Amino acid sequence: MVASETAYPTREIEHMNTPESRHPAELGNGRTALLEARGLSKNYGATRALDSLDLAIAPGEVYCLLGPNGAGKTTTINLFLGFVAPTSGQALIAGLDVSTHDRETKQRIAYIPEQVMLYRNLSGLENLEYFAALGGKGALTPARLTDILVEAGLERSAVDQRVSEYSKGMRQKVGIAIAIAKEADALLLDEPTSGLDPQASNEFSELIERLKDRGVAVLMATHDLFRAKETGTRVGIMRYGRLVTELGTEEIGHADLERIYLKHMHD
Amino acid sequence: MTARSVLRNEWRLLMADRALRIVLGLFAVLLVYALANGVVWMRFQERTVEAVQTGNVERTRALADELAAIENGAEPASRFADPRAPNVMGGARGSHTAVLEPGPLTALAVGQSDLLPYYYDVNIYTNESSFHQNGEVENPLNLMVGRFDLTFVVIYLLPLLVLALSFNVLSEEREQGTLALTLSQPVSARRVVAAKLAFRALLLVGMVLAASLLGILVTGGFGSPGRVLLWCATVVTYALFWFVLAAWVNSLRRSSAWNATVLVGAWLVLVVVLPAAINIASGLLHPLPSRVQMVTAQREASNEAVNRRSELLARYLEDHPEMAGGVVAEEPGLGALAWAATDAVNRRLEEVTSEHDARRAEQIALVRRYRFLSPALLAQEVLIDAAGTGDARFAGFQSQVRAFAEQWREFFVPAILASEQMDASVLPDVPKFRLEDEEGADVARRAGVPLTVLGALLVLAGVGAGVGLGRVRGAD
Repeated sequence: MVASETAYPTREIEHMNTPESRHPAELGNGRTALLEARGLSKNYGATRALDSLDLAIAPGEVYCLLGPNGAGKTTTINLFLGFVAPTSGQALIAGLDVSTHDRETKQRIAYIPEQVMLYRNLSGLENLEYFAALGGKGALTPARLTDILVEAGLERSAVDQRVSEYSKGMRQKVGIAIAIAKEADALLLDEPTSGLDPQASNEFSELIERLKDRGVAVLMATHDLFRAKETGTRVGIMRYGRLVTELGTEEIGHADLERIYLKHMHD
Repeated sequence: MTARSVLRNEWRLLMADRALRIVLGLFAVLLVYALANGVVWMRFQERTVEAVQTGNVERTRALADELAAIENGAEPASRFADPRAPNVMGGARGSHTAVLEPGPLTALAVGQSDLLPYYYDVNIYTNESSFHQNGEVENPLNLMVGRFDLTFVVIYLLPLLVLALSFNVLSEEREQGTLALTLSQPVSARRVVAAKLAFRALLLVGMVLAASLLGILVTGGFGSPGRVLLWCATVVTYALFWFVLAAWVNSLRRSSAWNATVLVGAWLVLVVVLPAAINIASGLLHPLPSRVQMVTAQREASNEAVNRRSELLARYLEDHPEMAGGVVAEEPGLGALAWAATDAVNRRLEEVTSEHDARRAEQIALVRRYRFLSPALLAQEVLIDAAGTGDARFAGFQSQVRAFAEQWREFFVPAILASEQMDASVLPDVPKFRLEDEEGADVARRAGVPLTVLGALLVLAGVGAGVGLGRVRGAD
């Protein structure tokens, strides 16, 4: 590990896509990683979208990926979801390679995209019922699912409304409800608070906090430095497909994070 | 679990979509209308058949009554209407009408039954021209475009509805953004699409099969379970082909608009253009002789025959010694001379019709060769065959009627040539037509190849769809 210029405990990432690479699953304190990337790379034609990413996220940890557009954040999420195949390396969920254990790994994760798009002609409850059933929770009763929606922050009166009448914040809450209903071990969030008003964004962060406290491992791609500092336990800064630095959020302030981020953007 | 969830979700989406409900309602109305149309046609045929059979009985009874009266001393109305004369008893007055009962599933598929005759008046004057005329006066528009029956709905409209409900089965999920959320669950695109299409198939095929079974129930077609099974299997296979084709096109991961264009194009080519092209090609390559040619030949032969009756009679007896029965009158009677003329006309007609029949056979062979290009042609062939209104059943009927006409002549002509008179005692021996209808096994054998090819097309599209959908990921 190379010390950074700052007095804060950042980890400058050296790219060591070799057999001697650090094994990310070894997190210390007997913890094992739920989400893990090992030398994960993705090329789109001649473009290197992700370059040898090594990453390990333990249960109860919120890892925020920061970086400009095109830095490789969404590609990382998509690789964990199995939406794209890696060019090299592995994306592992609970130790299982996503490429070879599609069903098992998806059983353990939940995904909330930037825009949670639901069936507009159905109610929030009907949408939850459908996606929960796809996630293997078809036995949950409508009453239980309603409670989950309320737990996710939706007004009880909105549960039976058509989704076409929902705001973006309400749809994001249904997304959270899907994750809660599924009892997912890991949550993949792709800029989930983008476009939300501050209050909705704050409510969303609180929900993530709650899931974290339940031991869910969270990987969140975001542009929102403030939210990353508030919600995350660690942040990783990406640029040109590479994870260029990684730091714990407890040791730094908002201003420090912004400074470090901007420094890397200008390097 | 996945399948049940998708089915329930699809049902909810359907219930929430007013336009879709209206389209399905309209389809249900069309099904009922088509079925009613078929039932009306079948009932008309049944009434015709009943009337024809009554006519047979009444003619025989009238002859018997008149013969009995003559035996008791009454005089025949005229010399030319004397029922004792074999050319009268075996001619129009005593003729027997051979009938083909409507196919068991005619209500579902009118098929060839409004084009080809299903009854023939057989008497000694029956000749080839009789087999090229239909006694029914039919609306020419119906003959041109076909009747609006269930087969029409299945072949032409069902694929359109299948495509309307399935052209965006996957592309819509991607376009509205639900695909990513769906595929982040432990399900494959293949399973989700299969379940979504299964719901649509259950709905549409269920509606068609329900209408079919209702029609069969109303018209008593359940007496032929093999035909019912074949009908249902063909409807299911044909509908599934279109569903799977839609899945295949969706698996190419293009936009809904692109899918719609390609699928409607496929419908146009496979259901409209190819069958029409094959039909036109068969007409151009193997044109049928004009009907005028037959009428002219008949007229010329009649004129010539009347002038050369004696010569013709001598030639006839030379060619058909069996018909003379050893009793050849020294002075041939008028009946014998007339028969010789009739036979000469028949022979000339046979020359014309044999050319017609040969061309027709070539046309059918061409259509049969290229029908594999169009699932619509394959399905239609099996459906009308299963219904008992296909070419084969009518050809079988016609060939039996030809044999019966020959049997009829063999019964009456010797007496004509010998200038004999007949009496009521021969009536029970006059030949009666008994149709040996095709067996279920015959239909199954004929359906084997087209149904197998249709199934192969379904499998081909299914493999394409399966491979394509296997490549679908959430981030397309």
